Amino acid sequence: MRIAKITATTVTTATLALGLAACGSGEEPPTSSPSAAASASGPKYAGKTLTFWRLGDSNPDAKKYTDELVAEFEKQTGAKVNVEWIPWPQVNDKFTAAAAGGAGPDVTEIGNDQVPLWQSQEALEPITDIVAAGDQAQIPKNLMGLETIDGETYAVPWGGGSRAVLYRADWFKELKIEVPKTWDDLVAAAKKIQEKKGSDVDGFAFNGGSDANHLLGALAWTSGGEYAVKEGDKWVGKLTDPAFKAGFAQYTGLVTDGLSSKSRLNQNTTEIRTRFSNNKVGMYLTAAWDLATIEEESKGKVKGDKLAFFPLPSKDGGEAQSFLGGNDIAVWGTAKEKDAAKEFVKLASGKQWGVKYATDGGLLPVYPEALAALSSDPVQAPFAAAFAKAKAFPADPQWTEANETKAVLQNAARKVIEGKASADEALAAANKELEDILNAS
Amino acid sequence: MTNTSTLPRGGGRSTAPGRRRARPPHKASGLPAWSIPYVLLIPGLLVIGALLLYPLAQMAIIAFQKVGLVQISGRKPATWVGLENFANILENDVFWSSLRNSVVFAAIAVPLTLILGTAVGVLLQRLGKKMSLFVIIGIMFAWAVPPVAQGVIWRWLFDAEAGIINWALNLLPDWLSSALFGRADWTGEPWLNDAWSIYMVLIICVVWAGFPFVAVSVLAGLKGVPAELYEAAKVDGSGPWRTFRKITFPLLKPVFAVLTVLSIIWDFKVFSQLYVLAGTNNREAYNLSMYAVTEAFKAPPKMGSGAAIAVVLTVILLIITAVYIRQIFKQEEL
Repeated sequence: MRIAKITATTVTTATLALGLAACGSGEEPPTSSPSAAASASGPKYAGKTLTFWRLGDSNPDAKKYTDELVAEFEKQTGAKVNVEWIPWPQVNDKFTAAAAGGAGPDVTEIGNDQVPLWQSQEALEPITDIVAAGDQAQIPKNLMGLETIDGETYAVPWGGGSRAVLYRADWFKELKIEVPKTWDDLVAAAKKIQEKKGSDVDGFAFNGGSDANHLLGALAWTSGGEYAVKEGDKWVGKLTDPAFKAGFAQYTGLVTDGLSSKSRLNQNTTEIRTRFSNNKVGMYLTAAWDLATIEEESKGKVKGDKLAFFPLPSKDGGEAQSFLGGNDIAVWGTAKEKDAAKEFVKLASGKQWGVKYATDGGLLPVYPEALAALSSDPVQAPFAAAFAKAKAFPADPQWTEANETKAVLQNAARKVIEGKASADEALAAANKELEDILNAS
Repeated sequence: MTNTSTLPRGGGRSTAPGRRRARPPHKASGLPAWSIPYVLLIPGLLVIGALLLYPLAQMAIIAFQKVGLVQISGRKPATWVGLENFANILENDVFWSSLRNSVVFAAIAVPLTLILGTAVGVLLQRLGKKMSLFVIIGIMFAWAVPPVAQGVIWRWLFDAEAGIINWALNLLPDWLSSALFGRADWTGEPWLNDAWSIYMVLIICVVWAGFPFVAVSVLAGLKGVPAELYEAAKVDGSGPWRTFRKITFPLLKPVFAVLTVLSIIWDFKVFSQLYVLAGTNNREAYNLSMYAVTEAFKAPPKMGSGAAIAVVLTVILLIITAVYIRQIFKQEEL
């Protein structure tokens, strides 16, 4: 299977190279349109239309950035760009439909941990040439671990997103709570919030939805655990290790200790954010991209100095390990306008628009000097600190299946929370399933 | 003007008998008389074949293949894997819990729907004309609610914090609530966590939306029963329950047979309501339809195992329906 895959990739690469060579030799397109014959800086894709999928909710900041980027691209190349917004919880379903032959994008934003999956489904176009030259050559190669598969790069890192705890600074002030320095502080703070703000408020929101592992991962990694490690060419599950178990206990404890209601075991970050906007959550783990949407959802009531971040504290103080999240930009494999799409990716991920994407969207820039400049920014400093210690999920195409589709750890946590299994039993079963999924060809 | 108006009238009158004479039925079709029913069946068969049989056959084929996105988009051919898909699902715990959920749910929901529907049907028969119409319109609203909306409605009613169910349970006097349920405080009771309580809500939801159809069908059947039979029964001193058992039920047997088969089929493959109530994360609450859908369409799609589950579900339904219908025909012969 492995060999077959490599051969397939080599063949694709060879065909692609031939294709590129063919394109290269026919430098003069045989079209009669005067604009197409114009110089490279002119509108060389006039009349063409690209479809661009942006992921997440279209909040004002993100929309403004996208409009500006699209306008710039139109000015440079003459091509029109249709932007479609896909909410995060729907992303995999939309990609599935597109890859099955439905209406797909030319260019898409993509979560970095989703790249291995969609590459394995042959849904992404290799764009190694883009990251090898120009601005993109400055992006550190260690940020491209998930994007580079068998020597080809399939997506360009666009912005990094480690996560930190977003909290209601106004409530903390009102209730005289200090910013938590240890996990116990955080638990105490959450309890106090619930006591004063009502029992239907989640002190610290439990995430059991599609992105639950961002929270569980942060807790497990901090206590020294791992999901799975690759030994030889096989994944070996590490969920039963005492270190992982300790993080898992903290995670399920959020509900069993009553910091978060038992009635919302399925909620994902999007749903938690909506409740946060409606004064029903005191703290939750997220990133700065939620700020603009919270202001919009709360009709301008929850914003500014009512909100602040602190790095997730570890059990005995110090900062927790965070998830090395990030959004990439990629060319979809069945794009109709591949050349224009690559041109668009080149522009968007270049230094000017790449750094602007990150800073406007509340993410961390992938360009080292821009990142270094952030350590003095009060909002971004917790993230920049967390980013330095960030870890990623197992880099395997099957990870998405374990993470979201089969929701292996979410179901293990559910069993423990409802008292149907001990943590040992639930994790042993989850460990076996995780290994089976990751090692499936 | 008068000329033009009379001319066509005259012409019409003259051609009408001519047309009748010129087209005797046999010559017009040009087909032997015995074949006409079959020819008339062809359009229907074509439609059924294209919309039902072809997809069914495809499903059966895919169940023995490995089909993912690459195969669907046509970049690679589907490979035959024999019984691997079936072996995989049969050794998965989720399959067995889904099967259990499907069977138990149908075993409870079908009788409840039929009993409640029949009771309301009999009630409608006894009500006055205006009241009966009023009730029919009322219950038909429940039947007309689309499945997703049904799910949303009941999900809200059973919501842990904002739901009216928890609110109403809290309104009960504490001693009554404690005596009935062993507890007095229902604040924040999560109904949609555990598989058993999710299915309880689902049963309520499906029975609520399913009984009006049964009620109206039973009412239609009752209208066909001659009133003399009931009068005779009354004269002989038969009570309402006996009348129902000895007269109504035997006469409406064909109606009940159809309603039972339909209810079994509908309840076995219930999906939308469950999807809304439980979501896709809670694997303990899957039924076979949910399991098939998540296998087949969630990233990365495994159409093969999804189809295998669908085949299992179809076979189960065919067996139950076949056994049931056989049973009915046997009883008719006696």
